[in-house]
Amino acid sequence: MKPITPTQDTSKTSSPAKVILVGNPNVGKSVIFNYLTGTYRIVSNYPGTTVEVSSGKAKGGDSSYTILDTPGVNNLIPNSEDEKVTRDILMSENNYSVIHVLDAKNLRRGLLIALQLIEMELPLVLVLNMMDEAKSRGIAVNLKVIREIFGLPVVSAVATRKKGLEQLIPTLKDSPRSTFSFKYSEPIEAGIACLIPLLPPAPISKRSLALMLLAGDESLRAWLEERLDSQELARIETHCSQYQRNFQEPLSYRINVERLEKIDQLLIPIQTKQANSVQGWGRRLGEWSTHRVWGFLGMLAVLFISYEIIGVLGAGISVDFLGKTVFGGYINPFLTGMVKGIIPFPLIQDLLVGPYGIFTMALTYALALILPIVGFFFLIFGFLEDSGYLPRLAVMSNRVFKIMGLNGKAVLPMILGLGCDTMATMTTRILESRKDKIIVTLLLALGIPCSAQLAVIFGMLAGFPAWIFIAWALIIFGVILLVGFLAGKLIPGENTSFILELPPLRWPQMKNILIKTLSRIEWYLQEAVPLFILGTLILFVLDKTGVMTSLGKWFRPLVVHWLGLPVESTSSFIIGFLRRDYGAAGFFSLAQKGLLTHNQVLVALVTITLFVPCIANFFVIIKERGWKMALVIVGVVVVIALLVGGMVNWVLKVWA
Amino acid sequence: MNSNNEHPTKDYGDHPGHRWHGGRLARTQEESIDELLELIWTLREKGVTDIHSLLQNTSDPEARAVLNHMMREGLFEMDGDILRFKEKGEALAEGIVRRHRLTERLLMELFEMSEEEAEKEACKLEHILSPAVTDSVCSFLGHPPVCPHGKPIPQGGCCKKLTREMKPLIHPLNDLALGQEGRVVFISTRVKGRLEPLGSFGVIPGVVIQLKQRHPSFIIQIGETSIALDESIGREIFVKPV
Repeated sequence: MKPITPTQDTSKTSSPAKVILVGNPNVGKSVIFNYLTGTYRIVSNYPGTTVEVSSGKAKGGDSSYTILDTPGVNNLIPNSEDEKVTRDILMSENNYSVIHVLDAKNLRRGLLIALQLIEMELPLVLVLNMMDEAKSRGIAVNLKVIREIFGLPVVSAVATRKKGLEQLIPTLKDSPRSTFSFKYSEPIEAGIACLIPLLPPAPISKRSLALMLLAGDESLRAWLEERLDSQELARIETHCSQYQRNFQEPLSYRINVERLEKIDQLLIPIQTKQANSVQGWGRRLGEWSTHRVWGFLGMLAVLFISYEIIGVLGAGISVDFLGKTVFGGYINPFLTGMVKGIIPFPLIQDLLVGPYGIFTMALTYALALILPIVGFFFLIFGFLEDSGYLPRLAVMSNRVFKIMGLNGKAVLPMILGLGCDTMATMTTRILESRKDKIIVTLLLALGIPCSAQLAVIFGMLAGFPAWIFIAWALIIFGVILLVGFLAGKLIPGENTSFILELPPLRWPQMKNILIKTLSRIEWYLQEAVPLFILGTLILFVLDKTGVMTSLGKWFRPLVVHWLGLPVESTSSFIIGFLRRDYGAAGFFSLAQKGLLTHNQVLVALVTITLFVPCIANFFVIIKERGWKMALVIVGVVVVIALLVGGMVNWVLKVWA
Repeated sequence: MNSNNEHPTKDYGDHPGHRWHGGRLARTQEESIDELLELIWTLREKGVTDIHSLLQNTSDPEARAVLNHMMREGLFEMDGDILRFKEKGEALAEGIVRRHRLTERLLMELFEMSEEEAEKEACKLEHILSPAVTDSVCSFLGHPPVCPHGKPIPQGGCCKKLTREMKPLIHPLNDLALGQEGRVVFISTRVKGRLEPLGSFGVIPGVVIQLKQRHPSFIIQIGETSIALDESIGREIFVKPV
């Protein structure tokens, strides 16, 4: 056993030891995390990302641990934001040990990560999860050989049934560093040897750091800049580019190939396969789910069920109940009575409970209308996410996105946009190129109605003939396709390629979905409620000062003549600048008062759906894409919205 | 190194790569020059360029004399102890390394020869392959970027044109029948950032993949992993059906 160093000593007495969970996607990390930490946990976005990282506490005997769950990785030389976050966690924490979870039936990919963790010289425990699935597929794994090769504790587990996990905590007590090491081909080893003396100290070994740098890992730059002066940095960069010049393939790929070749060698005594692989229902369903016919029907079914839950149960029944009964029947009359009783000034009464009041408009709106819809949306989204269905949607829609110079991966932010465009704009980071990000950001801002806006639109359309709904949907879809196509042609840059893993379909763990949904709702409320209040205040001021009426006069020609809408709808467009659904809600109330004809309903809905993104979304666009691009996007969106709205108006006029 | 003294092939003079000497040199010397050029090249890949290391690494007892001759012929120049190719020498060495590594690849991957055998044959063939044959082999193999040991193969004119006129034993993944398996022989892509994600999923030369689906996207299976990809990527993954 290695001697106990003073740092380890203090970490044991003062604060609980840190343990980081690492593994490929879909290997059961979260289940193991839940087992170790129980119910209490903190789910937070990793700084500056939408990547969720959970942490919690575990107790074992006389010691306690802080457990950190990281996003799934395929490689620790990052190709994606998730991988970068996990790698950054390993680089920024100190004095921790790692639990590496491997899928027993997919050892090759698991060991690719294990090899890198071993290279980092971290204290390590291997958990071979899903031993039952491996067995049913005719894959036998020899744990003893793995222990011998790597000199590490290996736990065999079936996490969903809690099998084997009880061994995990005791092994954490003194998890060793592996004794295993292996050599790369000469040119790579030479590169490592040259780099090592130039590197600053890190929580991971210099050898592993050197390999990341040789692999051309750009994302390490910031980390190095904090620790080295520009001269040292320049020397490292010259070295790396010199070594890359010896190879036509990217060095990262070369390194990866050599690792995998080593693993294939190691696997010979570790793993034996029999041919009798069983076709489980999950696998068969997985194959159907991407079939050109069954997959398409399945997709329609999924969309229909989602609509039934979000649209009918959420936007219909729940909103009705909360809005009319709870807020309309009890809370608002009670608050109105109280405010009017306590505060004698009519202006402040109006500010709180008037038509543009903070309670009666902003909070009622946020809690009674948005909350149920967004809540149900996130619930469904979490279910689709955890069941492994979302990547299938990407497969089914890849061709459509190709028309727009994108690939199937873009479907993920687009679907999320149906929940919240602001959040979706942040997730455009999963896309690879700047071009993809710009196109998706533009399309989100332009044509994807968020769940709040959708709810208002559905509510409004309920009272009108079906052709309006169909026309609306076709026009919006057509505009998205056309604008996407043009943007794909006009924005410079290569089209990116589509490579996506299809995880096995499985029934998700409900607890996990609930926790995710709650943390997302929390995020949403924190983000939205202050904006609702701000928006309501602005409206209140515009209304009281009479600016609303004069704005109405200025925009009258555009609204009345070009779009053919009643002059009262001007305020809907103005508040549309604050929130998409606010704008739609303005038209909703006009429609309810019977002030709109069928044609006007269609024009109004098309225009307001395409109209500017909400303020929160606008801020996120600025953050992600910069001021200039954000203004360009909003400008393009306003022009297209008014153009299309006007065209619909004139076509309908000529028709009639 | 000169184990092939008695090799029956005679047409060295036809080799355009050797035009510079006007056919005056003896065959053995010509080959020693080739060997030294190759050695200088491979040492340079490891970052070693001084003459002492070169002399230590060669088994040719005449190395000094041959090197002197080569310098007179303008193949390289000396800068202190550092040896630097001149244009002519660089081109010659590149050609030899290219022929050697392509041959290795052909022999090991297609003819499934052992590493030793392949190495031995490659040492002989590197001196005699004509540029046309070399380019054909290269096209046939689909312009592989590295030799079986992972060392880079210098590109030839054919690589830039990406010709594929030969009827190959290996073909793109897309040509597999549904459900058929193929062993990846190499991946030939010019698109930046495409190899890395494939590699992370374990798609590298040597693995067996199965084509599961063509529409609406290509889906391949490797071990227990399913991956969806564009048709255009499938065209760049060359497999030998198993």
